[in-house]
Amino acid sequence: MTAAEAEVLGELRRLRARIPQVTGALAASTDGLVLARDTADADAAEGVAALTAAALGVALRLTDATGQGGFRELLVRGEHGYVATYAAGGSAVLTLLAEPRINVGRLHLEARRSSARIGELVDGALHRRTPQSEPRPAPAPSTTAASLPTRQAIPPLPSHKPKEA
Amino acid sequence: MANTETALKEATTVIDGALGAALVDYSSGMALGTIGGGKDLDLTVAAAGNTDVVRAKVRTMEMLGLKEEIEDILITLGTQYHLIRLLKSRGSNGLFLYLALDKQRANLAMARHQLRKIEAELDV
Repeated sequence: MTAAEAEVLGELRRLRARIPQVTGALAASTDGLVLARDTADADAAEGVAALTAAALGVALRLTDATGQGGFRELLVRGEHGYVATYAAGGSAVLTLLAEPRINVGRLHLEARRSSARIGELVDGALHRRTPQSEPRPAPAPSTTAASLPTRQAIPPLPSHKPKEA
Repeated sequence: MANTETALKEATTVIDGALGAALVDYSSGMALGTIGGGKDLDLTVAAAGNTDVVRAKVRTMEMLGLKEEIEDILITLGTQYHLIRLLKSRGSNGLFLYLALDKQRANLAMARHQLRKIEAELDV
């Protein structure tokens, strides 16, 4: 997924350039692996990706249990800033760290746009890859994502179509 | 005393040429309420974008050493006026009213006057 990876990274950088108060951006798979990151600290990014997957598992069950449909986004506010996670297509998420003074309205606007784009890139790359091999089997239950009905968990956005190479 | 919904409704019915209005929290950039708008005027986008306008002005005044408060901000477009009015009453700090007007139909002096009145009566 290298070509797509570079494009995802480009999208993360553009997003950070548009909103300076975003202090870190990363795209991760729903099972907690970093796909691309624009953060100061690589190790921290891996930790955040793994924690995102864990939080996502709870968020998915919560939206499901309360009948709110598929997962869209998750916003956590701490004393010193925000952590926001947005669904990006069917198998990835966009996680952002932001300063406490950020304009959350604008964060949502920009991040929703970016996550849709990243979703297209990631889903497109997966579709291109799968034809040779068997369609990916359901992921082996891992500790973080054990309860995720992974692939169908995040319904594709209406506009989403697999990109032709 | 009017609540958010009534105040916004009043802003768009009483003020001539009103296209849409929003009550916005500029600490977060999110709208507490919106009325009107449509596909030509997305009030969620307007709330987030004008939050940056207000913040920039507040910061500029700090840098200039002006110990004043912003009463309102007027933006004049080719066919519209956009009016931003910061709320002053106790408990509603950090909020502004945003009003988009059709330039042809609006009376700016009257609109400002009416918006001031609506703000004074608004209780969030």
